[in-house]
Amino acid sequence: MKRFVDALLPVEMAETIDLLLEQLRHRPLPLQVFLLMCLNLVVAPAVYATTGEAISRKAAYAIGLLALVTLALTIYLFVVVFQPERF
Amino acid sequence: MTSTPKSSGPRSSRRHTPKVNTSGLYQRAVRESFAKLNPRVMLKNPVMFIVWVGTIVTALMTIDPNLFGTVQGNNLHLFNALITIILFFTVLFANLAEAVAEGRGKAQADALRATKSDTTARKLLPDGTVQEVSSTELRRGDLVKVIAGDIIPGDGEVIGGVASVDESAITGESAPVLKEPGSDVASSVTGGTRIISDELTIRVTADPGKGFIDRMIALVEGAERTKTPNEIALTVLLAVLTLVFLFVVATLPTIANYVHSPVSVAILIALLVALIPTTIGGLLSAIGIAGMDRVAQFNVVATSGRAVEACGDINTLILDKTGTITLGNRLADEFIPINGHSMEEMAKEALAASVFDETPEGKSIVRLAQKLGATVNFDRDKAEGIEFSAKTRMSGTNLPDGTQVRKGAVEAIKGFVRSRGGSKTADLDAAYERVSRLGGTPLAVCHNDNMYGVIYLKDIVKPGIRERFDQMRRMGIRTIMLTGDNRITASVIAEEAGVDDFIAEATPEDKMAVIQREQAEGKLVAMTGDGTNDAPALAQANVGVAMNSGTQAAKEAANMVDLDSDPTKLIDIVAIGKQLLITRGALTTFSIANDISKYFAIIPAMFASAGIGSLNVMQLTSANTAVLSALIYNALIIPALIPLALKGVQFRPLSANQLLQRNILIYGVGGVIAPFIAIKAIDIAISAVGLT
Repeated sequence: MKRFVDALLPVEMAETIDLLLEQLRHRPLPLQVFLLMCLNLVVAPAVYATTGEAISRKAAYAIGLLALVTLALTIYLFVVVFQPERF
Repeated sequence: MTSTPKSSGPRSSRRHTPKVNTSGLYQRAVRESFAKLNPRVMLKNPVMFIVWVGTIVTALMTIDPNLFGTVQGNNLHLFNALITIILFFTVLFANLAEAVAEGRGKAQADALRATKSDTTARKLLPDGTVQEVSSTELRRGDLVKVIAGDIIPGDGEVIGGVASVDESAITGESAPVLKEPGSDVASSVTGGTRIISDELTIRVTADPGKGFIDRMIALVEGAERTKTPNEIALTVLLAVLTLVFLFVVATLPTIANYVHSPVSVAILIALLVALIPTTIGGLLSAIGIAGMDRVAQFNVVATSGRAVEACGDINTLILDKTGTITLGNRLADEFIPINGHSMEEMAKEALAASVFDETPEGKSIVRLAQKLGATVNFDRDKAEGIEFSAKTRMSGTNLPDGTQVRKGAVEAIKGFVRSRGGSKTADLDAAYERVSRLGGTPLAVCHNDNMYGVIYLKDIVKPGIRERFDQMRRMGIRTIMLTGDNRITASVIAEEAGVDDFIAEATPEDKMAVIQREQAEGKLVAMTGDGTNDAPALAQANVGVAMNSGTQAAKEAANMVDLDSDPTKLIDIVAIGKQLLITRGALTTFSIANDISKYFAIIPAMFASAGIGSLNVMQLTSANTAVLSALIYNALIIPALIPLALKGVQFRPLSANQLLQRNILIYGVGGVIAPFIAIKAIDIAISAVGLT
């Protein structure tokens, strides 16, 4: 991947991407939030479709996000249950 | 091998040292509790992390109450804001509990750090010259010279010189301690202590930052704190409960919509927070840290919380007789002459055998002999003192005329006499048995092949020790006494002290064998020790308490070090471990029992329109006041229980079943009733001020 990026992109951009990847390794939270919001692009329309027009488009996105946060918390709690020594 | 305790005063009257400055503890704890709001820190506490996420969601709903769809009701901004504030304080109070507990440890670490300063050390180079270097440059194996007034630059072993050392910086004991090479106990020195007379040559045994004080700082500060097995098990239980309630609450909107009683997300979050075990979730780490701190307040340094917790599960206590069960300072009480020798002759030989003996026992023999009119009738400068050793089990004097006077264990002296052509007499066995039956230690005295008599060393059982062992028995703990004394003496002392079992004529190897035998039966064993030969047994025991006056090897093998070098403290440490486990169990019971009343407060309020209003047994004013009352109670109970978590539930020496019944009654039934009263009172207060 790195070789491919280095070959295609200007040096400055490749370095910037390297820096970003390095940062993400140390601080993965922004990437995780970004991926969650991307996933919500699939979930929210589904929520909106199932509720008819009972809720607004904004509420559909919020509910979708809340559902994903709940799912994330569930996964987190399962990790605590199965790998408690990490906490 | 256990040494005599240095402090003679009651433990409660002793100053806790190093002196801990707790001023500003709460201000620091408040600041720290805000710092702990960092999500990375919050992730370590699953229950509180869920509350923290809930706080963020309700904060968003304060800004836009209709964020997740249209919600019916008045003053939604205010209602959601109140929920957010209460949830925020719930998290903050949990952080505060942990920060207060940690604060005490940090204050203790600061006090220790104050004793530790970089000093200039006189390093001895291989060519014999002295080079002045900073103590931080010293490495394991380096030789240093310290003279009166110097701070000892690092942990080490004395290899030359004799000097008095002030160890009060660590132990709080103001009396100086004599340090000399070759002695199993007195040759170990600790960095940061001060030499107050003469000079010593020391071989450094720890690299900078890895010394005894550094380890103590890291431990009391909690830097090396890892969760104990019980804490891990409880964390799993709390996570499972949280997971179950998360599923329940997440599926509630479907049911609520079906019964035409839609519920807002803010109320769902309030319900979730009220149902998950926030009380124990918030206090769990504080209880563990406070347990470590209680041990530290007893002047005992534990290498891990696991060790403190293991104390609570101990089944067998292995205790040395001398210094632990008896007062330790055995004194000569009587001379019993045999073989037709007179008392004067016996006193003269006992004096000759003890004149070079510097132990308290030896000095007491000299005093008794002098009291009986005996005098030294040889040139001391031309005589040679023979020290006691565990191998020969006797000591004495080689006189200038070439003859030898010895005193020691009866069997050893019998062998000595036999080797010189003498024979044993019935008198000796009678005297030996008489002293043993009195619970004393018999020491035989001989001059070459001539047996003179027996010295009665009186050993006094510590006052109150029998009651302590009775308590232990009630708690299901078995006590085993180990002694180098003969079987008759051991049985008399064991009977008087009330121990469950004893091992007479014990060697350090016997300690190891007893521990392994008990562990093979699935029991957890605790023991004390201070000598290098105790180190394997200390490492093998589930709880090994080394005396601070002991050797470096013993201290490294043990998982606790007693700074006061008081072996009796093992009994107190076990009580602290039990108290830690009981406190954790009691607060868990209370936290889970609380759910019942919170359930009765929130559920009827949520589904009032579904016709379950009769479940509102507390007759709470409205749905909103019900939710707020339950949440306020939920938040306030955490700081209310901080003192109990830090101090620990009052410990009573009862059996496991009795303790369970008692705790279920107090914390189980009390945990059901108390919140009903508190929530109703809060509801009345909220309605009175018209908050909703």
